[in-house]
Amino acid sequence: MNTLFNILIDGLAYGMVLFVIAVGLSVTLGLMRFVNLSHGAFAMVGGYCAAWLTREAQWSFWLAVPVAIAATALLGAVLEALVLRHLYRRKELDQVLFTIGLSFVLIAATNAIAGPQVQLIVLPPLLAGSVDLGFRTLPAQRLLVIGAGLAVAAAAAWTVTRTRFGVWLRAAVDHSGTASTLGIPIRTVQCASFAAGAALAGFGGILGAELMPLEPYYALKYLVLVLVVVAVGGMGSIAGSLAAAVLLGTIETASRYLASEWGSLFFFVAMAVLLAWRPNGLLKR
Amino acid sequence: MNPTRRTLACALLAASGLALAPVQAQAQSTAVKVGVVGPFSGPFAHYGALFKAAAEAYVATQGGKLAGKDIEFIYRDTGGPNPGQTKTLVQELIVKDKVDYLGGFVFTPNALAVAPLIQQSQTPTVIFNAATSAITEKSEYFIRTSYTLWQVTVPIAQWAAKQDMKKVVTAVTDYGPGIDAEAAFKAEFAKQGGTVVESIRMPIATTDFGPFVQRIKASGAQAVYTFLPGGPPNLGFVKAYNENGLTKAGVQFLGTAETDEFDLQKFGDSALGLTTAFHYSGAHDSPENKKFVDALKKRDPAAVANYASVGAWDGMHVIHKMIEATGGKKDGAKALAAARTLQWESPRGPVRIDAKTRHITQNVYLRKVERVGGQLVNKEVQSFGPHGDYGLDAK
Amino acid sequence: MNHPTMTHPVQAAVAVAMPLQPAQSAPRCAPPWRAPLLLLVAGLAACAAFPDQLGLITRIFITGLFVLSLDLVVGVAGLATLGHAALFGLGAYAAGIFALHAHADPLLGLGVGIVAGALTALVSGAFLLRYQGFTFLMLTVAVSQIVLSLVQKARNWTGGDDGLSGFAMAPLLGRFAFDLEGKVAAVYSLVVLVLLFYVAQRIVQSPFGLAVRGIHENRARMAALGTPVFRRLWLLYTVAGALAGAAGALSAQTNAVVGTDSLSFALSAEALVMLILGGAGQLTGALVGATVFTLLHHTAASINPYHWLFVVGGLLMLVVLVPPAKAWAWLRQRAGGVR
Repeated sequence: MNTLFNILIDGLAYGMVLFVIAVGLSVTLGLMRFVNLSHGAFAMVGGYCAAWLTREAQWSFWLAVPVAIAATALLGAVLEALVLRHLYRRKELDQVLFTIGLSFVLIAATNAIAGPQVQLIVLPPLLAGSVDLGFRTLPAQRLLVIGAGLAVAAAAAWTVTRTRFGVWLRAAVDHSGTASTLGIPIRTVQCASFAAGAALAGFGGILGAELMPLEPYYALKYLVLVLVVVAVGGMGSIAGSLAAAVLLGTIETASRYLASEWGSLFFFVAMAVLLAWRPNGLLKR
Repeated sequence: MNPTRRTLACALLAASGLALAPVQAQAQSTAVKVGVVGPFSGPFAHYGALFKAAAEAYVATQGGKLAGKDIEFIYRDTGGPNPGQTKTLVQELIVKDKVDYLGGFVFTPNALAVAPLIQQSQTPTVIFNAATSAITEKSEYFIRTSYTLWQVTVPIAQWAAKQDMKKVVTAVTDYGPGIDAEAAFKAEFAKQGGTVVESIRMPIATTDFGPFVQRIKASGAQAVYTFLPGGPPNLGFVKAYNENGLTKAGVQFLGTAETDEFDLQKFGDSALGLTTAFHYSGAHDSPENKKFVDALKKRDPAAVANYASVGAWDGMHVIHKMIEATGGKKDGAKALAAARTLQWESPRGPVRIDAKTRHITQNVYLRKVERVGGQLVNKEVQSFGPHGDYGLDAK
Repeated sequence: MNHPTMTHPVQAAVAVAMPLQPAQSAPRCAPPWRAPLLLLVAGLAACAAFPDQLGLITRIFITGLFVLSLDLVVGVAGLATLGHAALFGLGAYAAGIFALHAHADPLLGLGVGIVAGALTALVSGAFLLRYQGFTFLMLTVAVSQIVLSLVQKARNWTGGDDGLSGFAMAPLLGRFAFDLEGKVAAVYSLVVLVLLFYVAQRIVQSPFGLAVRGIHENRARMAALGTPVFRRLWLLYTVAGALAGAAGALSAQTNAVVGTDSLSFALSAEALVMLILGGAGQLTGALVGATVFTLLHHTAASINPYHWLFVVGGLLMLVVLVPPAKAWAWLRQRAGGVR
């Protein structure tokens, strides 16, 4: 019973990290059909910014995190507006190649600037301790992760369904040609969504720094996991990403508790089964 | 646009030509060539940097020459565990660069991959780090100046039994040295009358140790004995151990390299009191160690005195003596014969190379993490005396 | 890249029988043995010119064969895959285990590797080829990661994360022992590469190959023409698996060690990058890409391991913005004058 609770809590925390990083990629894939394999690099940049601000510049965690997220969003917006949008019409393989090249450059740049060691984010005293839940001690940071993940999911759902921007976004995803003839500023929507996706990735990198250590190869190392979540959840589906992330995160955590010698086997078997059953996404038909 | 494409084509051709063209000077130098093979990129890149700093620091303290010969280091990057690439690199070092000695090797598969090459070419190879016992059996030209898991585990298993511990859980990384550690602890602890209640194996790619630490807590053991490869996994495991309140739950920490000086300061006060058994502490109190630490810092202020850098330092000492014995000429058999008889005072304490196993016999110390002068150090509490590689007897 | 547009079966048949337009890329007029022969000569010349870097040259041959097999799947059939390393790695492990436990003859081991690669492709292809596009891509990743996990688990057979080692290959054809400098290994790999390159050329230029290209261009149309699409793709995937398995076996035999890196996602991604760099669909592009990338990696990595990522990352981005096909066309234009 104890193990079951452990699996659920740790799995939820891990799934939330994956969700926050993946949701941006899911939206840009669904919206712009742009295969952005440098998405992991944005998560890395966000984490590194937060690490640098909290450690070197000695800023408070609560101040450093929003600034780091904003910086990542800015980087995303600039890259999108200057370079990436020229690739929207290109073949998928070209996009893959370009964004892999971009990831390589970002990895090398990160190493050149910060060195190859793992970067630690200095947590505030509130989060640095552990919370005693009775049956186990949970690092307080994990609670933040779960809370933040739920908040992101709620905020994303609210933005998409209740705001004008959300309407524009959904229209643009469904049919950008018609949307632009109706006067919806497609370029703005694309740039803003990309920047938001990058910002969320950066946030995910910060939240996940305990589970997925920040080092220069981060950009490519966890890319597969993020792609898996996006594929299983369905491109463009926020709810799908959430469901996929939590489900797969729990399965991976369960296998670590119960059958760690098998590595990530169950994660990928589950992924293959889910994808084969619902190729268009968990919650789509 | 035109210049860009032209430049691109030219760059590609130039790169191809450059890669294959013989780059070395044609003049025959009398320098002794030492090839150092290790990770210089990726998450374990600090090993490469430490090897380089320590090896060059050693040569500097000897006045820039070893046995009157100039030393030329050739560094090659293996990345991570990459046996195919390591073999290609070492083949090139032996055939093209004609190295006299080889050093380095962090990962077991990489060392295993080059065994046939060094055997055939009779190139003495000093292992600065890789810790699986079986490696030295694969070729008689392997000499090891690091440690093996059997070597450092047997003493702590005996110590744990003496502390009246009856139930211990082992948690190791699922690869050669980790499995050695598990086998060594189980065998010795059982001999002393204790039981290993659970043996947890953690995949090498693990970054989140929370689930494993929860399993350790649930196992009901009085202590956890652990081994992980240096770098990010160690950091992650110790953090998970602290964050999940294992000390409060009464599970004592028994480790080996987890309190590596390289990452030690990052743990902060949560690391105080962690108990480990290992062959080298940066805080070892001896004039030799002080000389080593000073020379290392002079060479590279960012370098840390830990098991990796001392492995390279002592490895260079062995190479030094081999050069002395062969007069700087390439004679693998003679060098090896000389190496087998070596005995000296290393920064870690008195050491010697075992003539039969070619592995270093050294003191193993019990250490606890303490704060000394504002820095966290591994304070040596007790010396277990000299130990050899028990792993080779246990087969 | 210009592919012939086949709008009508008769036109397609005419295109095969009488290839007129020189601007088309396939089918070619050149006899299928010409390119492999050129490759053999170039390879032998490289071996003779750089006798102390045969290890690197052998690696280039083996990587070239691997990327060639990937070209069949990605370039000819149009199925983007990031799991091709599974076929390579299983070929390597099969050959290694065979050498360790059964027989150390290299040619037998090569056969075992080919069979292992082909079988894996056959079995996984039956499942994978039912999907397309992004779904197919992610499923190939899943399959290769599952294979990796299984190999890591089966420590007793594969050595797990420590790798499979300790086997020594018997002399090739009973006479040529694998030497320290790697002369035998280099010529052996080159000959296997040339032979399989010829086989690949023949397949791609055959009606079967044209059908597969047709499926790449327009699956629905080919199905409407009556082509059994799934079966064609399945057969091609199996053949590609056989070639990848051969490359894996060569790697295992020339290195005398097999590591889990031969099954890694990084290897699949690198191969895809090499292929796109050299140009997919032409078969020769695969060899060019493999050569250039490996040489660049080797040079840059020995200068500075991290900064080489700047070089290759920059190169990739540049190549996408300035496609090699256009670059070659521009070069030809400058050199040839009127076109």
